[in-house]
Amino acid sequence: MSGKINAVLAALLVICALSLVKSQYQARHLFIELERAQSQARQLDIEWAQLQLDQSTLGKHARIEEIARRDLEMTQLTPARTQYLTEGGQ
Amino acid sequence: MTRATSRASNRASSSAASRVAASKGVSFSKSPVLAVRLPTWRSRVVLFVLFAAFAALAGRALWLQGLTTQFLQKQGEIRYARTIELPATRGKITDRNGQVLASSIPVKAIWAIPDDVLQAPPEKLRELARLLDMSEADLRKKLDSDRNFVYLKRQVEQDVADQIAKLKIDGIDTRKEYKRFYPQGEVMTHVVGFTNVEDIGQESMELAQQKNLVGQTGSRRVIKDRLGHIVEDIGAKHEPHDGKDLVLSVDSKIQYIAFTQLKGAVEKFKAKAGAAVVLDVHTGEVLALANYPSYDPNDRRALTGAQLRNRVMTDSFEPGSTLKPITVALALDKGKVSPHTTIDTGNGRLQILDRNISDTKAHGVITVQQIVEMSSNIGTSKIALSMPAQDMWEMFTKVGFGQQPKWGFPGAVAGRVRPYKSWRPVEQATMSYGNGISVSLIQLARSYLMFARDGDTIPLTFQKSTALPAGQPIIKPKTARDMREMLEMVVSGKDGTAKQARIPGYRVGGKTGTAYKVENGRYAMPRKYIGTFVGIVPLSAPRFVIAVMIDEPTQGGHFGGQVAAPTFAKVAENALRASNVPPDSTVTEIVAPADTGSEAM
Repeated sequence: MSGKINAVLAALLVICALSLVKSQYQARHLFIELERAQSQARQLDIEWAQLQLDQSTLGKHARIEEIARRDLEMTQLTPARTQYLTEGGQ
Repeated sequence: MTRATSRASNRASSSAASRVAASKGVSFSKSPVLAVRLPTWRSRVVLFVLFAAFAALAGRALWLQGLTTQFLQKQGEIRYARTIELPATRGKITDRNGQVLASSIPVKAIWAIPDDVLQAPPEKLRELARLLDMSEADLRKKLDSDRNFVYLKRQVEQDVADQIAKLKIDGIDTRKEYKRFYPQGEVMTHVVGFTNVEDIGQESMELAQQKNLVGQTGSRRVIKDRLGHIVEDIGAKHEPHDGKDLVLSVDSKIQYIAFTQLKGAVEKFKAKAGAAVVLDVHTGEVLALANYPSYDPNDRRALTGAQLRNRVMTDSFEPGSTLKPITVALALDKGKVSPHTTIDTGNGRLQILDRNISDTKAHGVITVQQIVEMSSNIGTSKIALSMPAQDMWEMFTKVGFGQQPKWGFPGAVAGRVRPYKSWRPVEQATMSYGNGISVSLIQLARSYLMFARDGDTIPLTFQKSTALPAGQPIIKPKTARDMREMLEMVVSGKDGTAKQARIPGYRVGGKTGTAYKVENGRYAMPRKYIGTFVGIVPLSAPRFVIAVMIDEPTQGGHFGGQVAAPTFAKVAENALRASNVPPDSTVTEIVAPADTGSEAM
């Protein structure tokens, strides 16, 4: 009788030990994945900041004005050439 | 030879004899030769020593494993555990519309161990010098050092750092750091400021908001394997906290308009410098703060003091006639005069004790409105002398003159208003038209808020605000309306001193000012001028207060009406259009007369 219990317990012990090994392996695996995802997040953050910076640099008013004047031959609006539409007006 | 042989034969014979004895049945252990009796204590000693040695080992093991556990654990940990610093970025600075004004990007500092690097082949060093953007001689000079750690170059951008890493020169390594970029450059720099190489704010908002902008680095303990990969975390992780982003009140569009117009004016009038500030009447936000000359914060190698100077905030000057409306408002508010009260300004000369006060020409008997319109010193002096000095001093103090501004901007000056008890009558008179008192341009602009806002004033702010601040009443709403009317006459009246401040499509009110520059405590000789203009637009429903100051104009006039007023008009016209403010006047074509602007000082 006790021999049977021992056998069952031994089998249980082996199963537990193996599952511990497996879960430890899985934990490592997931950890590596997490690390990779986090570093990717950081990288994307940096890229986002870089892109915002580029947007601001390229959208500089000085640059827009220069391109508008030189390449697109635009001129500034004067009130004399503006027709204002007022709400409720005739 | 013979002796040795005989001894060997002797031994051989004796051993033969013992073997013979054993074979005779005497066992080895019973051999009488072995029957030596040792004293018992000797074996006991040996036994005791052996036990004592084992006990010492056990004790030592207990000591190491159970009692002083830290030392070994620490030593073990040193071999696999690493603390990784988690960097935190400095907060971004954006304008009120979310455009980035300052942002930190990770870069690399390149450092070297000179002795190792000098072993590298010369062509590699040449390539390194090229990548670092320095001459080979300079590089060698840097490496020619006794120290074993030298920064070759800091704040190297990532792609260059990668190329350097590819050269695989021994003794070259990199360290992560941040570089701050200012995409708006010289246009915005007097508002934003800059940081030094250690990422610490040095000027303006970068300095004022250093505590909020700076991030808090975190750290984590990890186990690393042989290849340097992180295996797992041990212990708690301290999360890094990035610096808070800062949203400024400044509008980059209006700022650009103010800066370019100011730059144009300084160049046109061959002035030494210029400054302009645009305030939002409703919220007290500073929408633009421009200075010229300026500098590029991304490249500060040739930075001079004149470029660095923030003339809006940190310079005070005698405001001249721009102060007259404040004196007149006080007199109106106290009921001393009404806008249509007439005052005799005589022949343009007034003597108070030993000092002469003069106007540009004899104005004769004119109303209070006309005193402001024509900027009469005598008229303002007479109004001022009808009031107690204390009232004037209180008025100046209430609008903020002589008070250290508390708007969170480093280095803002208080200006100078002497205590009223020491005023002589002539000084009270000259102060009424802005001589003998000094203010900064932003204080001057803020003092006009009470005219634009129906009599109350609000604190200014450099950060975007959503709530409307509570106003602090200074003058009656009726007085403010009367003053706006007078200020409009300065611009559009037939004798106004600021005809060039007119803007097609909008009603404008404002006041010119021209003052002699004070150098070393006295007025500079030959005369140097500061031309100013403070205006309110659009007058029907004020949105902006704009102040412009041109320092030492030398060509094309020097009066506020000639140099500052047209600059104001250009800034205001573009700012109104950029902010979609509907026009409140039907006048769309303006031919400004050229002969305006002469003004008494």
